[in-house]
Amino acid sequence: MKKIQNNLSILILMITSLFLTTACSDEYLDNTKVYAEDSESFFNSEADYYNALVAAYDPLQSTFINVLMGEIASNNTLAGGESATDVPGYQQIDDMTHTPVNSQLQNLWSWMYGGVNRAAYIIENQDKTDFEGKNVIIGEARFLRAYYNFELVKWFGAIPIKPEGRFSVGDEKTIPRAPINEVYNLIEEDLKYAVDNLEYTTPQVGRATKAAAEALLGKVYVYQEKFTEASDIFDSVITNGGFMLETDYNKIFEFQGENGVGSVFEVQYTDIQGAGFGCLQCSEGNVAVGFQGVRGYSGDLFTSGFSFNVPTQEMVDQFEAGDNRKEVAILDIDAWATTTGATFTTGYEHTGFFNRKYIPRKRSADAAGDLNLTNPNNYRAIRFADVLLLAAEANNRKAIPNDTKARLFLNRVRERAFGNTTNNITLSGSDLTDAIYHERRVELVGEGHHFFDLVRTGRGSEIPGFTPNKNEVFPIPIEEIQFSQGNWSQNEGY
Amino acid sequence: MRKQITFLILLFIGFAVTAQTLNVKGVVKDAANGDVLPGVSVIVKGTKLGAESDFDGMYSLQNITSGSVLVFRYLGYKQKEVTVNSATINVSLEIQAEALDEIIVVGYGKQKRKDVTGSVSIVGEETFEVLKPIDATTALQGTTSGVAVNLSSGAPGAKVNILIRGVSSNTNNQPLTIVDGYEGDLNSINPNDIESITVLKDAQAAIYGIKGANGVVLVTTKIGKKNKAPSVKYQTFASLQQTTRKLNYLNATEYALVLNEAYAVSGQSLPYNDVSQLGVGSDFQDELFNDALLMNHNISVAGGGENFRYFMSASRTEQEGIIAKQNSNFIRNNIKLNLGVDLSDKLNFSVIANYYTSASNGFDNSVLFNGLNFAPTFGLDEDDTANFLGIEIVNPLSQLNNTFNEYNGNGLEGNFKLEYKPIEGLSITSRLGYKIYNDKGRTFTPIQSYGSSKVFNQLQSSVYQYKQTSTRVVWENFANYEKTFAENHNTTFTLGTSVQNDLFDGIYATGINVPNNSYDFADLSLTDPQNEQRSLNAGFNDLRLISYFSRLQYDYKGKYLFSGLVRRDAASVFDKNLRVDHFWSATTGWKLSDEDFLKDNETISFLKLRASYGTLGNLVGNNLNRSFLSGEGTYVLDGSLVDGTAQGRIPNPLAQWETAVKLDIGLDVNFFNDKLSIVADYFEESRENLLIENFPVSGILGTGAPGGGNPTVNAGTSKNTGAELAINYNAINTEDASLNLSYNVTYVKNEVTDVNGGAFIEGGSFAIGNLPPSRMEVGQSIGYFYGLQTDGIFQNQAEIDAHPSQNDLGANVTSPGDIRYKDVNEDGVIDINDRTNIGKPQADFFMGFNLSGRYKNWDFSAYLYSELGKEMVRNYERFLPNVNKPAYYLDRWTGEGTSNSVPRLTNDATNNKLFSDFFVEDASFLRLQNIQIGYNFSPNTLEKVGVAKLRLYTSINNLFTLTDYSGFDPTINGGAIGAGIDYGSYPSARQFIIGLNVEF
Repeated sequence: MKKIQNNLSILILMITSLFLTTACSDEYLDNTKVYAEDSESFFNSEADYYNALVAAYDPLQSTFINVLMGEIASNNTLAGGESATDVPGYQQIDDMTHTPVNSQLQNLWSWMYGGVNRAAYIIENQDKTDFEGKNVIIGEARFLRAYYNFELVKWFGAIPIKPEGRFSVGDEKTIPRAPINEVYNLIEEDLKYAVDNLEYTTPQVGRATKAAAEALLGKVYVYQEKFTEASDIFDSVITNGGFMLETDYNKIFEFQGENGVGSVFEVQYTDIQGAGFGCLQCSEGNVAVGFQGVRGYSGDLFTSGFSFNVPTQEMVDQFEAGDNRKEVAILDIDAWATTTGATFTTGYEHTGFFNRKYIPRKRSADAAGDLNLTNPNNYRAIRFADVLLLAAEANNRKAIPNDTKARLFLNRVRERAFGNTTNNITLSGSDLTDAIYHERRVELVGEGHHFFDLVRTGRGSEIPGFTPNKNEVFPIPIEEIQFSQGNWSQNEGY
Repeated sequence: MRKQITFLILLFIGFAVTAQTLNVKGVVKDAANGDVLPGVSVIVKGTKLGAESDFDGMYSLQNITSGSVLVFRYLGYKQKEVTVNSATINVSLEIQAEALDEIIVVGYGKQKRKDVTGSVSIVGEETFEVLKPIDATTALQGTTSGVAVNLSSGAPGAKVNILIRGVSSNTNNQPLTIVDGYEGDLNSINPNDIESITVLKDAQAAIYGIKGANGVVLVTTKIGKKNKAPSVKYQTFASLQQTTRKLNYLNATEYALVLNEAYAVSGQSLPYNDVSQLGVGSDFQDELFNDALLMNHNISVAGGGENFRYFMSASRTEQEGIIAKQNSNFIRNNIKLNLGVDLSDKLNFSVIANYYTSASNGFDNSVLFNGLNFAPTFGLDEDDTANFLGIEIVNPLSQLNNTFNEYNGNGLEGNFKLEYKPIEGLSITSRLGYKIYNDKGRTFTPIQSYGSSKVFNQLQSSVYQYKQTSTRVVWENFANYEKTFAENHNTTFTLGTSVQNDLFDGIYATGINVPNNSYDFADLSLTDPQNEQRSLNAGFNDLRLISYFSRLQYDYKGKYLFSGLVRRDAASVFDKNLRVDHFWSATTGWKLSDEDFLKDNETISFLKLRASYGTLGNLVGNNLNRSFLSGEGTYVLDGSLVDGTAQGRIPNPLAQWETAVKLDIGLDVNFFNDKLSIVADYFEESRENLLIENFPVSGILGTGAPGGGNPTVNAGTSKNTGAELAINYNAINTEDASLNLSYNVTYVKNEVTDVNGGAFIEGGSFAIGNLPPSRMEVGQSIGYFYGLQTDGIFQNQAEIDAHPSQNDLGANVTSPGDIRYKDVNEDGVIDINDRTNIGKPQADFFMGFNLSGRYKNWDFSAYLYSELGKEMVRNYERFLPNVNKPAYYLDRWTGEGTSNSVPRLTNDATNNKLFSDFFVEDASFLRLQNIQIGYNFSPNTLEKVGVAKLRLYTSINNLFTLTDYSGFDPTINGGAIGAGIDYGSYPSARQFIIGLNVEF
């Protein structure tokens, strides 16, 4: 017995000596130094908010894929490229044979959600630190979230949304695809906040203004056929925004026309930083421009590209005689080669036409490579002409139409195009509607809008291969359906 | 109180009356040479009475009962028991002929080798003495079963990797190294200071918990013996080094002819119209390789007094590189102090300190690559100014002329230990291990030009400097209690804690425009302060660990052995709620040779069965749970780039370490009085929670934004299965001669059993523009080579027409003389989907065969090492038309029937340069690592000049390597995914050594 007691006391001695000497608990592990900025301990100063806002603008540059692929999806252009298997994702969308297996659609999905999350990161932390002018930064963040969400709803229809902030791991299994009207509600709320908090002028060129928010809100109304609300908000942009139509249509798409008098919102690009195929969305340049350049081109004014997104003869024929926009929007490469002596090679689905607004221009000597991926052409995301035509449509189609006003807006655009008033439209009612639709197509060709104009107005069947009640939206990428583990269903027909 | 005194008195009287007592004294000597042995412990069996022999080997004991038994114990000698029957008992102790009674460290404790129930390998100091490693790690190669040693490069001071029982992890396979109780590295230790290395290979290492899964290397450094006069040793050697191999490349004439042929085939005009004057041209390999020196000096003093023992040493190693020695060398200095002091009978204090400095310089890896590819038609000092060879290939000698760098590091490591033995059997230890390492580097890049647009050109000079400090402190407190119950139940109980903090910080800076474009002015302070490319960075890391552990070792009569242990680890680098894990293991053994049926067996002198099972961890995945603002958030505002702040890759809050489940079943058997010993093991390991990078997650998380990324997730599992066998045969052991033969072999098979539910990870690179050649994929070994399978050479157009089209591989034309690829997936088309397993970088078998012996005054040894069943990728050819080529192109296809292995020469686009088994070679090898002969002067002769021992020797390291591999060195390897790809690695040196050991 004594022996056992002895052993016991030794044991107790051992244990107590250990815990006395190591008087230390797991709390010791909590106090490690890091010296690295953690996303959860950010937003401590105005500079933090500003830096996060800049980062939320950044994914706008990845919308090049929306523009390029949106145009390819329409009946304006063919996919082109080098061969029938050059970027299969584009080829399939051109032919309306696309399926949920499509890397380009997957890119679009994840890049736009990249933008949504960066904007939501600021919105989520909006109450953390106060400073004068914070409402402007929050306003811009909400504008940006609306912009990205609008892209997503246009492409995919019902999408998961999370108004309070960023998505976190597991949300894909629990947050459902919100119905389209709920998505639009969130977009409208975000934009109304932006309209209320932003000014018509910005501290820096490239940032969103009140006018940009109003114009986007008007567009969002038109997409929902809320024409009365749309015409009201467009009136405000048109009256108070201070915009004019640039007289020289050609100048709009040249470098000297960037951020010009008719630019309501513009995605900014530059070529002073290099880029590679490994991360297209990281490029500070407009990747779409290189993709739709003339293959093997050597000659005046332009440089070469990958010959995607080539306009069809049918599109080119939409231009009426005397329309000054045709020479600006469409490059007839054979004619151009004949007059200038330029040389080029032909790619797949060669039509002889190129999207002249956004093909590569000659560059400065210090442009960083890969030059195909760093074209500095800004994307004129919302042009004043776009606003005028949407306003015309809203006035024409609202419950109590105002065709006079609609014609006024429409003809402002036509007067610039033709340089006279003799081509002004005098129609009204549904004839006027058709005239507005036609005007949108030619004014905005090559800018990525036409496919969505067609489907929102029920004219999708004009696109070869289009299946109604299916191709109005694109399929949710297969990977996302799998990640959601049954939470998200696929769009109808896919 | 009074009662107790009465009891004591009674007890004393009792002793006095029951037996006759004697005062015993005597001398203890070494049975072999008659030297007196100081410090031998003499204990009266069954009591606590005892003494220690003094400087003259004398001991004395008072009042010893006649008939009691004295036990003489001395480390390294056989224990001897003598019955007391006279007042003088002189004893001769025999040296331990076999290692069974050897005490080995097993982590927070010690065990007799014969009682060990885990799988261990031991390397003793004699191995270091023979192999003369610069990095102690290399002494493990071929001498320990289950342990493979990979050189990352043959460059002086290059990192040496240890793999214990193969590659299990895709991230980190380095074992934990514990030096005298502190966590250190083998490359900072002077190999001469090492007493022994014990390698824990199985679940027994679970006592090290989250750090034990890759195995544990326990290093014990030397310390003197008590009551021993100072013994001074001086060891030195000098070595002449040269490369083990040069590659067979074309000379100038051959090169010009080969180029002409390629140009002709492609219908281009010939580059060399007259080859008659070219001769052999320049041999850049000859210029790069040189004979180099290696010098080592080492002095040590060991000894001890009544209450203390000590060991001190100093050493210096200087090694020149066998390539461009002016740009490639390594110097290491070590100063070592081990001191143990008895503060009282119960309290011992010891200090271990190892101070070291290392300095080195080196050159860019591309030098040797350029040396192979630069054309022999150029003069030695001629640059390819016209870009004839392409923009990436430059004169390697010019490149070396522009190479300026230096590296300096110094460290102090060791521990302070207090050991308290309050009562018999109980020892309480508190020790503070530390390791501080500071290093700095400086690289000067001068303005340089090798020809227009060469990628190595520098238009402005720059200097890059950095300083780093890492500090590690580990405070451990543990107690061991050893007790025998009821005579036969031997137990040892261990309980302890460990607290660790690793801190790292570094500052890195680059300055532009160094004055005078000169290394003499290459300092940040002198560079252009306005230059925008000037950069400044810093790095920081803080890792903390808290651990508790406990172990019970039990045996019944030393026959049935059992141990069980558990360790709890908590680490700061994981999520707060997920950072704790428990590891455990159980081991068991059965000494059959102690059973009656084997006890007196004449053939089998020892037989033990062992088994172990348990879980261990591998500390990777640090800080993956944290969300850093490392994304790219750059946008254009006001026409200029503005950098914003964005999140980087998605964090994985659930990120954790890897865990291993290990099983080992082993057998230790000795025959013929231990002359022949065999250790055999079968092992299995399942490594779970492997970290899979870029784990696909939903795009709604925002991973697609610039600089974002998918998280790293614990989503892989691999399995290693294998066996090892070690045989030692002590063939001769007499006073005049001895001969010992040993052989060990290890087989390991690795198989990935899960990667994110069936996906794969790619890595490595081959040439330019090829898909990644290495993969981690279910059903294959980690890092296997994935490429096209060749099926000879197309001899004629008919063969091409009969074969599925190869056009989808890239080149649209296939001609006779091109490589024929197999349609592996049998879909009628040859494309990238026909890639398959074409080799693996890790050997199936690795083995060592070692021989050592002596005859009279001579000693000799030979160490052979071999790896079988591994492949390497020949990736040092730059596929450009005008670069120099390996000599195998002389055997190229030139027409039907000329070659079925080497494709035709052409400058046209072909599919011949795609990653295929044409570039994968069998890299099995057998290397004579060391052969040595030494002469020991007779003690009698030496005594007159006051020298105790004197040995002269000569040896050769890496005398020959038998291999089919055509690259520089089949032993160079490293990493997991991407291992075995040879970019033209610095080969190991062949060393001719002469040396001297003298002892006073």
